[in-house]
Amino acid sequence: MSYEIPMGPYHPALEEPYKLDMVCVGETVTDARLHIGFNFRGIEHLAETRNYIQVIALMERVCGICSFIHTLTLCQAMEDLTGVKPPPRAQYIRVAMAELERLHSHVLWAGIASKLMGFKTMFMTCFELREKVMDVLQAISGNRVNYSMNRIGGVNRDVENPLALVEMVNDLERLMVRTVIPVFTTSATARSRCAGIGVLTHDKAVSCGVVGPVARSSGIAQDLRKHAPYAAYSEMEFEVPVEQAGDVRARLFVRALEIMESCRILRQALTRMPGGEINIGEPKLNFRTGTATSRVEAPRGEVMYSVSWKEGSRNPSRVHVRTPTFVNMPSVRYMVQGARLADTPLIQASIDPCYSCTDR
Amino acid sequence: MTVLEKVTENPAASELWRFEGGVWWMKPAEQTESVREVANAMKAVGARFVTITASQLPGAEGFRLEYHWDLEGRLLGFAFNIAGNTIASIYDLCEAADWIEREVHEGFGIDFTGREYEPLLLREGDTPGVNLRDVATPKPAAGAAAQEVKQ
Repeated sequence: MSYEIPMGPYHPALEEPYKLDMVCVGETVTDARLHIGFNFRGIEHLAETRNYIQVIALMERVCGICSFIHTLTLCQAMEDLTGVKPPPRAQYIRVAMAELERLHSHVLWAGIASKLMGFKTMFMTCFELREKVMDVLQAISGNRVNYSMNRIGGVNRDVENPLALVEMVNDLERLMVRTVIPVFTTSATARSRCAGIGVLTHDKAVSCGVVGPVARSSGIAQDLRKHAPYAAYSEMEFEVPVEQAGDVRARLFVRALEIMESCRILRQALTRMPGGEINIGEPKLNFRTGTATSRVEAPRGEVMYSVSWKEGSRNPSRVHVRTPTFVNMPSVRYMVQGARLADTPLIQASIDPCYSCTDR
Repeated sequence: MTVLEKVTENPAASELWRFEGGVWWMKPAEQTESVREVANAMKAVGARFVTITASQLPGAEGFRLEYHWDLEGRLLGFAFNIAGNTIASIYDLCEAADWIEREVHEGFGIDFTGREYEPLLLREGDTPGVNLRDVATPKPAAGAAAQEVKQ
């Protein structure tokens, strides 16, 4: 006999507005229905009432963790519409900020995942590391959440001494190698809680069109930094970690390896940063009539902005935001099918969902 | 030329495509296929569905729906202008289109025929299409002029 267990809308494990109605037989989940929209803010429509400067501040608030990524994607689209090209130094600063944000997101996620595994010591370790990343972000931008770094034609703040930050990155990498990665890859606790659960097969991953670490954990080697490079990524050397198992452990591995690759990219961006201007100044911006689309590889996967403008207007006529969680979240239904009820919070967390992005 | 042959052409070396605003668009004169034929062709070549961007056309001209697909890092775009408010669903062909079709339906009141809807972002009692500009045109806030930024 089957019965239904509602989890949410105030999610007991992830503490966010999200609901999963699970159909169970005994302890096993046979199917699930997802409900979102509890915090729908109508940001896309609000964007149409903001001018080209105000809209940057607005879209920075789509997500509390990927705030830089959202403004980067938006600014790239608006740079296309205005025919503006940021200077090389600005492109390197954008890469450094984007990778720091990836580190921040992945380490934060590792902490949450540890907590859900019942591994609270590792939760504390990850959050200590997260503070170090946030210290670097604050040292560059002066802010810890909404960085206000991006503008049309570059960035607002310079990295005054990039080489001084390299030691902070090395320190972070040492701590990751010494503590977090060995625990996630070899600990019996982590293995028993993650291996073989929440499997998303390669075929299902393709069918759902998932992106980011969720796709790469199911054998899909896609990463916009490699396949459609933006900012200064075409000048960076790095690998795209891919796992085949499609389970929670594979998602853990991919993110752990991505932390190492982010440190590698950061070192390159900071040591090779060219001199010169960080933005184009304040020329008169002329928007062309039309639509520009920009895509960026956020920590959770591909973010896409489609921005439409009418020449002579101060406001966009349409801003469409496609966030990674919006495409990753439907796949949770397949991940929890056949899983034990007790594993479902960790399975849901394994896609690193962002409800703020999804509801917009 | 079939739609499959069109999408497998290298856009950079083809007359069928034009690159604008970060997207390879199939030229309107070349795009004679329906949205479902395009979806079938994109699936056949292994393209990944990205999203649908909907916008309202001026006056009573209807809506523009832009379907985005990723093929090996290239973003391909197919635009469909619809005079009414219905277009065929591709959900049965492409599972990834489920949530965005529901979102567009709720935001713009567009019906994707051949499928059923469950609410996505709306709550019980809300009306699909309330974000349509004709229905809910954003009104300027008090003191809007003072908010304008000079640059």
